[in-house]
Parts: sequence; structure tokens; C-alpha cells
Amino acid sequence: MLLNKDKWPEFVGRLAGKKLLAPQSGGDAVRFAPVSDGEVPMLDFKNTRVPPKQALFPQTETMYRFQLGTEEIELPQLDEETIWLGVRPCDARAMAIVEKLFRWDIDDPYYLKRRELTTLVGLACNEPGLNCFCPSVGGGPASTEGLDLLMIDLDDRYLLEAITPKGEALLDVTGDLLDEVKADAVKEKEKVVSAAEKKIKRTVDTEGVSAGLPGLWEDPLWRRVSAACLGCGTCTYLCPTCHCFDIQDETEGFEARRCRMWDSCMFEEYTVHTSGHNPRPTRRERTRNRINHKYSYYVDKFAVTACVGCGRCVNLCPVNIDIIEILRQVKEAL
Amino acid sequence: MTGDNPYIPYTATVEETWFETGGERSIKTFKVVLDDETVRENWSHRPGQCAMIGVLGVGESMISISCSPTEGRFLRFSVMRMGKVTQALHQLEPGDKMMVRGPYGSSFPVDDWHGKQILTIGGGVGQAPLRPIVEYVRANRDQYAGLTMIYGARTSGDLCFKGEFEEMSKCDDLACHLTIDVEEDDWSHNVGFVPQMLLDLNPSPENTIVITCGPPIMIRFVLENLKKLGFADEQIYTTLENRMKCGIGKCGRCNVGGMYVCKDGPVFSYAVLKDIPEAFA
Amino acid sequence: MNLGQLRKIAAEVVAREDVKYLIGWKQGSYGYRIAPGFVEDAAGAAELIFSPLCTANLATYLTLVEKLPVPRGQEADKRKVALMVKGCDSRAVTQLLVEKGIHRDEVVVIGCPCPGMVDPALLTEKYPETEETVEVKWSGDGFLLNRSGEEIKVPRDELLAEKCRLCRYPNPVISDILLGEAVEPWELAEDNGVAEVEGKDVGGRWDYWEEQFAKCVRCYSCRNVCPLCYCQDCILDRLNPTWVNRAVNFSENTSFHIARAFHLAGRCIGCGECERVCPVNIPLGRLNRKLAREVRDKYGFEPGVDPEAEPFQASFKPDDPGDFIL
Repeated sequence: MLLNKDKWPEFVGRLAGKKLLAPQSGGDAVRFAPVSDGEVPMLDFKNTRVPPKQALFPQTETMYRFQLGTEEIELPQLDEETIWLGVRPCDARAMAIVEKLFRWDIDDPYYLKRRELTTLVGLACNEPGLNCFCPSVGGGPASTEGLDLLMIDLDDRYLLEAITPKGEALLDVTGDLLDEVKADAVKEKEKVVSAAEKKIKRTVDTEGVSAGLPGLWEDPLWRRVSAACLGCGTCTYLCPTCHCFDIQDETEGFEARRCRMWDSCMFEEYTVHTSGHNPRPTRRERTRNRINHKYSYYVDKFAVTACVGCGRCVNLCPVNIDIIEILRQVKEAL
Repeated sequence: MTGDNPYIPYTATVEETWFETGGERSIKTFKVVLDDETVRENWSHRPGQCAMIGVLGVGESMISISCSPTEGRFLRFSVMRMGKVTQALHQLEPGDKMMVRGPYGSSFPVDDWHGKQILTIGGGVGQAPLRPIVEYVRANRDQYAGLTMIYGARTSGDLCFKGEFEEMSKCDDLACHLTIDVEEDDWSHNVGFVPQMLLDLNPSPENTIVITCGPPIMIRFVLENLKKLGFADEQIYTTLENRMKCGIGKCGRCNVGGMYVCKDGPVFSYAVLKDIPEAFA
Repeated sequence: MNLGQLRKIAAEVVAREDVKYLIGWKQGSYGYRIAPGFVEDAAGAAELIFSPLCTANLATYLTLVEKLPVPRGQEADKRKVALMVKGCDSRAVTQLLVEKGIHRDEVVVIGCPCPGMVDPALLTEKYPETEETVEVKWSGDGFLLNRSGEEIKVPRDELLAEKCRLCRYPNPVISDILLGEAVEPWELAEDNGVAEVEGKDVGGRWDYWEEQFAKCVRCYSCRNVCPLCYCQDCILDRLNPTWVNRAVNFSENTSFHIARAFHLAGRCIGCGECERVCPVNIPLGRLNRKLAREVRDKYGFEPGVDPEAEPFQASFKPDDPGDFIL
């Protein structure tokens, strides 16, 4: 369907009733924030610093509450339906990729419940960022995987494509604002998407990488690429596919909760045993694990790379550890 | 969200506790019974599996279940006092509540070993995951060709399950070899390291399965010596441990290579393990 | 500074038998990016640069490198680490010496007098980053950008980093080898950042920091990049007992940042790295500079200037002001 941009405020108004989040400029960094009634989010952003993975995997999630000294467990109420507006296709794809793990073997009730309650409205990238490389890892600027609805900016109007019944439901409640798609819009979409693809300059070559990585276990490249690493969580926390978590009990008086929070394989403490022994004692082993997890272990388990090429880790690493460059060195060493 | 939440632990009551060893890092054994009758009836674990046990408000730790399902409808855990959670667990006395979820992970394929000689080689608290095998084999004695146990610790005070060994050595179908690192008064068993004792006993690899658990350095030399004695990789089993949080393959941290210790382990055949580069890190 | 001279000296230093490696700056993987370079040979030395983009304070690596147990039968590698420093970076080295975090005979300090760094955020805002490497140089009283052959001259004031506007020590305060000529210190700017926060009333200040700390994702990049946050066992990581919960929310984040700021009072040397690396742009420099100024005004102490100084937080003088005690 087509939405004329002058009807955008009205379109957003129709979504009221559910909690709505959209990218907003907070100071100088764009981030997802709740949209208050009557506010109209502007979708003129490249991408948010922190990915919308928090929609399904909040940085801190209460798993259950209890009173100290009792064994009665109270589960949190998860029933608020939310719409995330302006999710980039790479980030939505990341959520679909992570869902494979959270569905594998034993269902993760929190992740899956949140997915059920969340409608992801995507916005195709007309102006990809400098370090975007989604086509190299199976995505694209207008990829629909993981989304419920995809919006493509055609200058004065949006082309809306429902991907799931949830997406169709959104089109239903806004039906009177929408026009049927005609051939010219289809052509325009093709033009816009192919122009966006051409703007993506950086690439990685993953051929042979998943099978070859374990063979490079002792390769000198790992020391080289990790020498400058600060051991901070920037690359992993801002990665839309990183999904590792810690579980901690937190108490306030007699009120207590068990909660989980993002954790990072780049932290020294992540693997350290209580005895003090650390099977990954240096940043070299930790960097090697990060790359292997994304480009080899996950591929073996779920037949998909756990990297969507969003470029955040490259953009924001304080010491220019560039995953594209690491992958280049991996290829060279194979 | 309802009952299918795998992160919600069951409540269990501590029935009995005793100290296996003393000192700063003492090992305390807990015999616990799950409170809910249906849960208790439906609980089934296999030798080698683990459970997440803990105290609400403090946290959870992955601990191996140190009893065989053949022993009865209770669970046993032998816990070394190390960090925050194990310190809190050590506070528990009979009548107190322990939170339990599981059982988790792979188990020793004891039923594939029918007709075999079973050899367990343990060190220190590493005897805890081996104990269920010993008990399982003893309960199903006619299914196995024989059972030999090698168990060592630094001192006699560091040996777990001591009372049980006295009883075991009275059985003719169980060869029980104990060793300690340094000479002590009133010690009638062997003195020396476990790997050396293995060489001295010189067991035949024929029709035998070996399971070894203990400190990494012991495992390394035991594996070396098993190869010297002619054991094939497929005949050797061990268990791994790593820091864990979820126990169900989600939280990420316990991986060795592409395997999760909480799902694919803790029990591994050496034939699998020897190709995982991180396994003995 | 003459790059040829820098590389020649670096090559000589890494060739020394008592030097393990040299840490300097090299061209990054694209655009304006600079990467820390760990140089072990002449080929590595030939990649080193010093430009207005070399904002990173490499002194953090002196304490960041893991000290693994030495395998039995082997000797510990006691060779020195050579480190390239700007004025601010050299103050971090000095402060580490004061605190005995490092020993003088463990490092070879190669000083680079610094005419002032470019603020990467201001730079990319005006001249968007490109895939191609962009060379940035000092030129007269300004910066010279070379974007794909096109030379752009930018006045110094337009791009100078905030920490450099406030810098009192552009020349290394400590060095074994000094590269090039000392630079003339410049007139200090007003600290508008701190003034902006000080200008608010208590409620306004609370709102300001609430908004800032609520953004924090607790990636710990500010702590990890800090050359003076080098505790083996950081109190903020501790779980037994837990001082700061792992939960990420305004309250815990605030505890984290306040604890860190206080631990750095009288120790922070103002390299501004915490603020530069923050992925969500929390102006941590304002917090640290405010405390640095309190310490300077009240106690007359400035960290990282005198290697013989007593550590500020570990020394007491009978005439220390006590008017903050309620």
C-alpha cells in the first residue's frame, strides 16, 4: 500500500493505544524512545546507536520477583503490546536470527512473549551508512526478515509492505489513509533499493570462513587484531545479534528479584571460574571467541551468520578494531 | 507467562547435610527432596547430569548430582565452598529450603556400557559426578563385567564419601583404590598421584570404559597415561565445567568451541573432546 | 613533527634489546580512524604517524596488558615497553609512577609535543567520514585536511577538541626521548562545559545528570580506556559483596559514575578519553574536570605533573581545608 507523507501524522495517530517507540534524537545520538501522544516521529536518521534488540531482549529483564525468606515466586506481567517504528532491516533480521537460539531446544519464555507482543515496523535504508555491509552477510537495505511491516521511502510517499498478519493488521486500521500500489511505485521501489545497494561500499567475503575458522585457532592474527582491544562491551552491547546474558539476584530490603542483563564475552569476568582460573585469560582468546561465535559456531548450529553487517561495532569501537578488517585477515590466513 | 518457564526453580527441602571435608574450601553434602509430589515423581536424572541449585536472593550454581537415580527419590549435591552462592548453600541445614532446577546436560551412556569393565578415576571433588556411576553399576551389577575405582586427593581429609568406601571395600565385586599425595600416619592405602597409580595398576584396555573427573592437571596426565596403556579415545569419558548462568544453552558463556557445556556436556567422550580446541583451556 | 624522524627513532627504539615493543599511533582502517599500533620491528615503525587525529591516550595499555603466570622453567620478560605520549598522555604516565602502578624502568617514554587535537565529532559533523583514508595535518594556525587529493584548510578554533582548549600541558611532562620542538602553550579557554552545569540550580543539575546517566549502557569503555582505572579487581565489578548492581538503570548507573568520578578525583589528568569513547555521548569530562578543579582550588594539587609527588588521596596535611565536612 502507499501512504502519502502528508498523511504520516494521521497514520502515527492511528497506532495510538499501543505503546509506540521510534528513533529520536537524544542530544546528538539517535535512540529509540517512547513516542508520546500527539508527537510525530521523524524518520530522518541513519540508525540508532543502541540497536532495537532491546525490544525483545531488554538490557535488564526481571525474570521473577520474591520476598526474601520465602519461596513464593511472582512472574512479571508481560502484556503490553508495543510497536517499534523505524526498525532498520538489519536490526530486524538480527532479531530473527537471535530468535533461532531462543527457540532452540528449550523456549525462552521472555524473548518469545515479547516477540508475540511486539510489532516491528521497518524502514528500508535509502542512505546506508559508511560501514554497512548487510549484503555480504545475507541481508539487504530492504530485507524483510524479522519484520512485520516494511516501509520504503519513495520521496513523497511510503510504500508499505505487510510481511506478517501483525503487519496486515496495521494496514487494516489505517486502510482509509492508504492508496493501492500502482506500477510506477513498484518501479520506483526497485530503483530506490538498487540505488541503496550500490551505495554500500564495504564488503566481507564469508566463503569458507565458517569451516575454516577453527583451523586458525593458533594463528598469529588473533594477537594482532586484539592487541589494541580495551576489553569493553561496546562491540557486543551495540551488536544487534549479541545475546549473551548474566543472571543476578538483586535485593532491596526484603523485596528481591532475579533478573538477567546483557553480558559480554569481551569482559574478563565473563568466563572466569570461581577458583580464579580463566579459560579465556586474555583479550586474544576473547576476540577469537567473538569472531568464531558469529562466523562459525552459530553458522554450524543455525545455518546463518550471527552478524547482520550493521557496522555498529566498526563505527563505535574506540580503538578501530574493525570486524571487516578482521574478516579480511581471516580470509587471507585460510 | 505460565508454568513452562525453564528459569523457575523447584523448591526442595534439605533433609540431611554433612561435611565431606574441612578447611576454608570445605565440601558439604546435601541430601534434598523436592517438595512438590508431582515434580518429585516426574524428576528423572541420569548419572553425570547436573542441576542449578541455589538460594533465592543470592543466586544459582551448576552442581553435579552426586547420587544415582537408583538410590531413591532424593537428590544429593556435594558442594565446595568457593564463592557467593556456595557460601550461601553451606549455610543450609536440615529443614531449610534449596531451589533446584534441572536436570541439565548430557549423561554418561551407562546403558551402552552393558557387559563392560568400568574404571572410574577421580580426584578431589571430581569424585562427585563419578559417584552416580559407581552406585548405578552397583545397583545393576549383573549388567556390567566389573567395576574398578581409583580415587585420590591431596590428603586423607580431602577425600569425599570416605564412609562409603569402607563399606565398598567389603564388596568383592568392587576394586576400590585410594591414594593421597603425601604420606600420613594411619594411612593404609597408596601414597602418590592419581596418574601414577593408574600406571602402577596397569589396567587392561580390553572391554573397558574409563571415566575420569578431577582437577585439569590430573585429567591431563591421566589422559596421557591412558594413551600409554593403550586405551582408545572412544573408551574414555570425562566431564567439563565452565562458568554458567542459564543452564539451558541461552546465556552463552559456557561454550567450548561450538559446544555448550550445559547442553552438549558436561559429559564428553574424549573422541569428541580432543578436537575442541578450548576444551582443556 | 617530521614523520621520518619519528619512524627512524621508533625503529631504533624497537631494535633495542631491552625493549619489548613500542605502542604508537598508526593509520586506521578507513576515513579519519587512527588505531593503536603495537610495533615490534622496523616495518611496524614505518607505519607510525602523529597527527591531529591521534587523540587516543595509549598509556592505558601499560596496565591493560594481561600479566599471565610465567610457565615453570621460563623467565619473565622484563623488557621495557616504549610508549608514545602527548602532553596529557605523559601526565597519565607520571600519575602511574606516583601511584607506583608502573615503575620508571619499565617504560621508555617517547614524548610528542602536541599542538592540539581535532575533535572527531566536530570533524565528522563538518566533513563527513569517508571510506578512503583522510589525512589531517597541522598547518600554520589550523588544520589541513586532504580528502581524496582535495586540500581543505580549517581554522584551529573550528575543530580543536575541548580537552585541548583547556590543556595546560601540551608538552610532555616526562620523556626519555623528545620528538621535535616544544610547542608554545596557548591561552586557556573558559570551561564552558562545567560552567553550563554549574549554572543550573540543584534540581537542574539533577535533571541534567539523570538524562545523561539514564543513557548509559554500562559497556565500561570509559573505565577500561582510562589509564588511571587499573585496579585488578574493580569495586564496580565485585559481586561478593555487590556494591553496584548489574541492573542497568538510572540509579545503578549513577552509582557507577559517581564512584568512578570520586576514585579519579585528584588522579584524573584530563585526557578526555572517557568522553571520547562513550558510545552514547555522556559528557564524563565535565564530571571529572569539576572534581579536578575542586582539588586544584582547594588543595593546590594537580595530578600527573610531578613524579615525586605524594598521591593526593593518600596524603593528609594538617592545613587541608575541611569546610566540606558537614
